[in-house]
Amino acid sequence: MSASPNHPIGKSVPRKEGRKKVTGQALYVDDISFAEMIYGVTVRSSVPRGRITNISFAGDTPWDEFTIVTAKDIRDIGGENYVALILNDQPYLADEVVNHAEEAIVLLAHPNKYLLEEARRNVRIEYEELPAILTLEDSVDKKEIIWGEDNVFKTFLVDKGNVDEAWTNADLIVEGEYFTGAQEQLYIENNGVIAIANEHDGVTVWGSMQCPYYVHKALIKLFALPEDKVRVIQTETGGGFGGKEEYPSIIAGHAALLSLKCGKPVKIIYDRAEDMVATTKRHPSRTRHKTAVTKDGKLVAMDIEFVIDGGAYCTLSPVVLSRGTIHAAGPYFSPNVRIRSSAVATNIPPHGAFRGFGAPQGIFALERHLDKVAKAVGLTPDEFRRRNFIQQGETTATSQIIREKVDMAGLLDRAFELTGYHEKRQRFAKENEQSRVKKGIGFATFMHGAGFTGSGEVYLASVVGAEATSEGRVKILAASTEIGQGTNTIFAQIASEALGVDSDLIEVAQPDTANVPNSGPTVASRTCMVVGKLVESAVLALKQTLVGSGLLREDYSQSEFQEACRTHIEKFGPLKTFSTYQAPPNIHWNDEKYQGDAYGAYAWAVYVAEVSVDSLTYEAQVEDFVALQEVGRVINPVLATGQIEGGVAQGIGFTLFENVVWQNGRMANNQMTNYIMPTPADIPPIRVYFEENPYAYGPGGAKGIGELPMDGPAPAILNAIENATGVSFDHVPLMPEAIMENLTNVLHGITL
Amino acid sequence: MMRLPKFEYRVPRTIAEAVKIVGDVGPTAQFVAGGTDLYPNMKRRQQTPRTVISVMRVPELNQITGDGKSGVRIGASVTLTDIVEHPLINRDYPVIAYAARTISTPILRNMGTIGGNLLLDTRCNYYDQNYEWRKGINFCLKKDGDVCWVAPGSSKCWAVQSSDLVPVMVAIGAKFRLASTLGERMIDAAGFYNDDGIDYLKKRPDELLVDIHLPPTNGWRASYQKLRRRGAFDFPVLGVAAYIKFENGRANGERTVRDAKIVLGGIAPSPIQIAEASAALIGHAFDDEYIQAAAEAAYVKARPLDNTDFVMNWRKQMARQYTLRALRALAVSD
Repeated sequence: MSASPNHPIGKSVPRKEGRKKVTGQALYVDDISFAEMIYGVTVRSSVPRGRITNISFAGDTPWDEFTIVTAKDIRDIGGENYVALILNDQPYLADEVVNHAEEAIVLLAHPNKYLLEEARRNVRIEYEELPAILTLEDSVDKKEIIWGEDNVFKTFLVDKGNVDEAWTNADLIVEGEYFTGAQEQLYIENNGVIAIANEHDGVTVWGSMQCPYYVHKALIKLFALPEDKVRVIQTETGGGFGGKEEYPSIIAGHAALLSLKCGKPVKIIYDRAEDMVATTKRHPSRTRHKTAVTKDGKLVAMDIEFVIDGGAYCTLSPVVLSRGTIHAAGPYFSPNVRIRSSAVATNIPPHGAFRGFGAPQGIFALERHLDKVAKAVGLTPDEFRRRNFIQQGETTATSQIIREKVDMAGLLDRAFELTGYHEKRQRFAKENEQSRVKKGIGFATFMHGAGFTGSGEVYLASVVGAEATSEGRVKILAASTEIGQGTNTIFAQIASEALGVDSDLIEVAQPDTANVPNSGPTVASRTCMVVGKLVESAVLALKQTLVGSGLLREDYSQSEFQEACRTHIEKFGPLKTFSTYQAPPNIHWNDEKYQGDAYGAYAWAVYVAEVSVDSLTYEAQVEDFVALQEVGRVINPVLATGQIEGGVAQGIGFTLFENVVWQNGRMANNQMTNYIMPTPADIPPIRVYFEENPYAYGPGGAKGIGELPMDGPAPAILNAIENATGVSFDHVPLMPEAIMENLTNVLHGITL
Repeated sequence: MMRLPKFEYRVPRTIAEAVKIVGDVGPTAQFVAGGTDLYPNMKRRQQTPRTVISVMRVPELNQITGDGKSGVRIGASVTLTDIVEHPLINRDYPVIAYAARTISTPILRNMGTIGGNLLLDTRCNYYDQNYEWRKGINFCLKKDGDVCWVAPGSSKCWAVQSSDLVPVMVAIGAKFRLASTLGERMIDAAGFYNDDGIDYLKKRPDELLVDIHLPPTNGWRASYQKLRRRGAFDFPVLGVAAYIKFENGRANGERTVRDAKIVLGGIAPSPIQIAEASAALIGHAFDDEYIQAAAEAAYVKARPLDNTDFVMNWRKQMARQYTLRALRALAVSD
């Protein structure tokens, strides 16, 4: 059928919007301006929990020139003062009580940015402070009940086999406890929006975001408007990493409330300090493992307790918890698995989506723990894992039968070959005795599910459209956003491959809820595998329409295709086709029991880290990193490699650098000078390799890739540090201070 | 957005003009060179001058003259990049080029100047925050508040001297020339800094730092070691400058130390000279036994507070290691 000489899938075609970005022509939200536009700012709480007793507008600010919005204004317009998401517990503007520091209370707008900043300082808010819960441990211990009846947003139970009966069959039981910290997404472009709202036209918002339809859903509730009176348009977006999954709904609502009140377009752009202190971060976690094994190293039972700190409001915590729960038992077969998980409330700003979405936390704990179990059984970390890797036809923790081909042992062999793992293991052991700088090598083996968990995709029922133009071009209509990861480019490649026409003929529409259908959020490693598949079927439906109408032969050239589009539009009017998500066959999920096919497909990976630890300064440095993964078919090698490299760098930050310092429930280091993310000087060569094993239900055979690289670095690096120092660390971020505390008693030849 | 407040901007062309402006305007005026320290501070309202006087167009402040034999004079508004790349500095004062190279990033070094770095505002986790954040803790002693959050109850501000060049200048015995409408004076780097995070300079607000005078390179050598979280960008949370000069000739084949200085930066409001370290080294052969003793003295005297990155105990421990490194670096190239 194809007339295209150049099958684009598998080729590194340049980014569709790349030229615009590097030449400065791409328009980000702060590049956009409207006539009469004024500016908005947010006045936030300074206490973690309290009752608002008074708000006064003081100083020499000319208050009558300002637009001022409080919770009362939302009541006045008959809107719902909550951010519609899962539990609808988070107010747009705090009303009477505040539940975390930096919670929005008052909004101000004015044409003069300078006056606005002075005015923000002159808003005086008085509180009667209430006792606050500031740590996960205190929340679990219910030191104070701050949310619902028990501080718990959500719990899950995964129960396979019978863990309680399994302990008696075990030769050995190994326990461990592991912690991960918060992490800031640090997208290049801060959160920002422009809103135009009035009673006649409703609300229109332009902004930096991942999920236009999330914003759409939230604004409908906030303004009590019908769907067609709310329009959300994504502007060029400078990164998201999950940080622009749910938060844009808040800032969009704020700008729109101000705009509705003053009758002018309102722009709100956060600066870095505000973005870091007030918006979501990765959920801190605590994981407890109790593992039963036989003396020859077969897993008998895994009992896992996984807790994440959700912050003050529920936001996306239940779904973060869900992904974390399912990934907590990894790519291993164990006949008995029990995972008890919960997301708990604290009085810190809500934690939210961040690349990996709960999985990196659970995988860190598991991959650290399995090194411990291996040691207890007397096996090497690799031999122990080899005896337990899941095989085709075996079941995961949720009793999902793995139907695809899976070869974790083969991946491990290749990763070891690429790194010289065994040789280094021996050499380092010998050299370390004499050396001040201790070297080590370690690895993690893991899987990551693509797409929404369980029946999520079925509920979402995503839609993608394809529209032919009279010039014979094809426009992809999808709500999936380009946030630097390559959505536009791979959609064009997929459509081009399916139609057999050049990818230049494919346009990808700007996500705008007035023009594109709801193809779901741009999250969960789903854009390529799930939405990309819909792109493929939508354009194939377009072609079928042309063939069915007799305007196109089955075997056509590009110019014939273009001609057919033109003729069809002339004869019958606009030509649009839509494709709606349908689950692949044999996918069954039981939401009550949390059993079944959790994900349509998994990416499989082995990451190997080589580290050095200075025994005098206790600084750990990653010297080499190999990331090997099987992700189905790679659509665009350069973009895919970039995704992996970026994710590994972000993972190294999560592991050794990025430490959110909390002070009375508030981020104390909310600047890039003191929230330390690694620079190129701190990142080793990242060597990326793909194994390709096409997935039958992905476009061109592709699976998901975006979150995967966040999972492996932390456990691989800490496993390597244990190899270097002989000391096992159980938490990230791991700072030299902590290494010092644990190491001083262990390494020889150190005097303090 | 954090924005600069409105201010008057003046660009004098001579030293006389510059000091006259500051004399006329009074305490609401402040000099600026590269602005990499002042402007962010103004955005955060840590400093609030009404008049900002740029000294970048004063030719006398932009020059490097002299050589290692007679000593070198560096104008205060010479950029850090120019210092890093200057052949003469690299040949005769490699320690200055090295320390300057560890400051921040290339982009900021292109703007930042040696004078600005030597006058760098003291830093603290409670002070280097935007206005809203500081307001949330009711401000601090250094600006707008009356409590030191590092040491509540203290009447002194503990903000930290955070320049990489300051310990080096103190160690090698550099001198600074200051000018005002009242005339000029020279001051030793060693006596220029106060152990007070607020009043951290001996410079009066109306005085302009004109240039830095490096002593002739007659036989001394110096080194600098910087502790920071990353391999780039960060301010020092400990900086160790070591200076050593030997007696002429050798005793029993070994050279005897005639003078030695260890200066720690990044741990207190002022650079800290470790007299005990000098005492441990002077009059002895420059071998590991005495180097260890000097490092021990630095460790004992290093008392960092909990107001920068890293916990203080680790920074204290590192004072020993970094002093060892700084001194051993001097022993290598005998």
